[in-house]
Amino acid sequence: MADELRVDSGALIFATLADVYISSGMIDEAISILKDGLVRNPNYHLAKIILGRAYYLKGEFDKAVETLEAIYEDIKADENANLYLGHSYLKLGDNVKAKKFYETTLKLNSENAEALQSLEKLIPDFAPVPKTQVAEPAAEEEPKATGREETINEVVLPSGQEEVIHEVVLPSDHEEAVHEIVLPPETEEEIHDETSPAESVGSIREVILPTGPAEVVAEKEGREEAAAESFVQELPEKRPESESVPLEALDKPVGRLLALDNVKSVFIATKDGLLIKDYSKAADDVEVICASIAGICLDVDEAFRMLKRGGLTRCIIEKEDETICVMAVGDSLLIVITRLEAKPGLVFVYARKIIEEIEEILG
Amino acid sequence: MKLKEFIKIPKVLGVGLVSDDGFIIEGQATYEYDTERLGAIAARVVNRIKNSLGVEGASAIIYTEDNVLFLKEVEAGIIFVICHKDANVGLIKIRLNKMT
Repeated sequence: MADELRVDSGALIFATLADVYISSGMIDEAISILKDGLVRNPNYHLAKIILGRAYYLKGEFDKAVETLEAIYEDIKADENANLYLGHSYLKLGDNVKAKKFYETTLKLNSENAEALQSLEKLIPDFAPVPKTQVAEPAAEEEPKATGREETINEVVLPSGQEEVIHEVVLPSDHEEAVHEIVLPPETEEEIHDETSPAESVGSIREVILPTGPAEVVAEKEGREEAAAESFVQELPEKRPESESVPLEALDKPVGRLLALDNVKSVFIATKDGLLIKDYSKAADDVEVICASIAGICLDVDEAFRMLKRGGLTRCIIEKEDETICVMAVGDSLLIVITRLEAKPGLVFVYARKIIEEIEEILG
Repeated sequence: MKLKEFIKIPKVLGVGLVSDDGFIIEGQATYEYDTERLGAIAARVVNRIKNSLGVEGASAIIYTEDNVLFLKEVEAGIIFVICHKDANVGLIKIRLNKMT
């Protein structure tokens, strides 16, 4: 490789190769190639961006910043450069600069998930109104028990339902706080959990009716309690927990695949290589095979996603004595080992038929 | 059959021969596909198969959402052929086996 680079000193392939090295976790090798290549091509900005990324991944954040800032004027329209500058500044504790670069990244690509996530984490540092706010005690509005403080729990329900404020009288050692809980429809049952401390400590004092978000209608204590109680009663009962699916349910669909003449073994494993179920006729190192195949699939998947050509759906690996057919089934892999004489097309046809069943069983 | 004749097969998008360390020895691809990048990936995957499964002369067919990639280790290096997912995969496999 080094010889190849020497032959063509102007070759820019080193950046591509370094990118592949980085994807394989070989950061030091990538940095070495990039440094070497940049000696010959000092104005190759793409390589410098990759070098900045490599430094970041290695944990050398100051070097990452130094590398990328040095050419920032020329690469300011590059999404990755801005993203890794943001990441590096964040690690260096400079949240203001990190935010600036994340915002630039999002201007360049509003769907950049990494930048969005990082910026969301940063928001509490910058946003003046965080989700959890401390409220002034409503002493003037409501008479309250002497020597006690209030906590307001505001539960914002999905549209079409009421907005309810549970105002709870707490013992004096509690702090004053407003908790704003926005609940999606499917988590309505969690209201029980949110309200339970309030119910256990104090009484519900105030109900906001859907007449307007700013409008609070104070009701008399008895009516409020009744309203709140009826509201709690209207909530759906806690959904039954999903039934556990015995893996024996997989036996039937996989059995059909195993019934094929040249099929030696069938395994189901997670995409990270952990064995779920083994149907091997001649078992040997099943877990090793699963881990190895998952590793290969992960590698292929990453490489193709890097090329923006979609992820792996299935693959066939031919060995001297057998063929390994792998299919992605949701978050799992269906691995079928066949003899060389087997027809992979036939295996895939059968596999496709049972994949839906397996997906359903594994959820 | 010469390597570059693969490109004449309908929906074949690229073909190449790379060394074990991922450098292109020979290659041709349509404008959307970068042979150097494909070569690097081919070398990486074949090396991974060799190391993980202990396979000599590794050969693989990889299906992705858009493409199918053929990899075959030969004496001179690693041959890769990339085609559209609707290409005649069987035909390409036969041609690849015949060539090697």
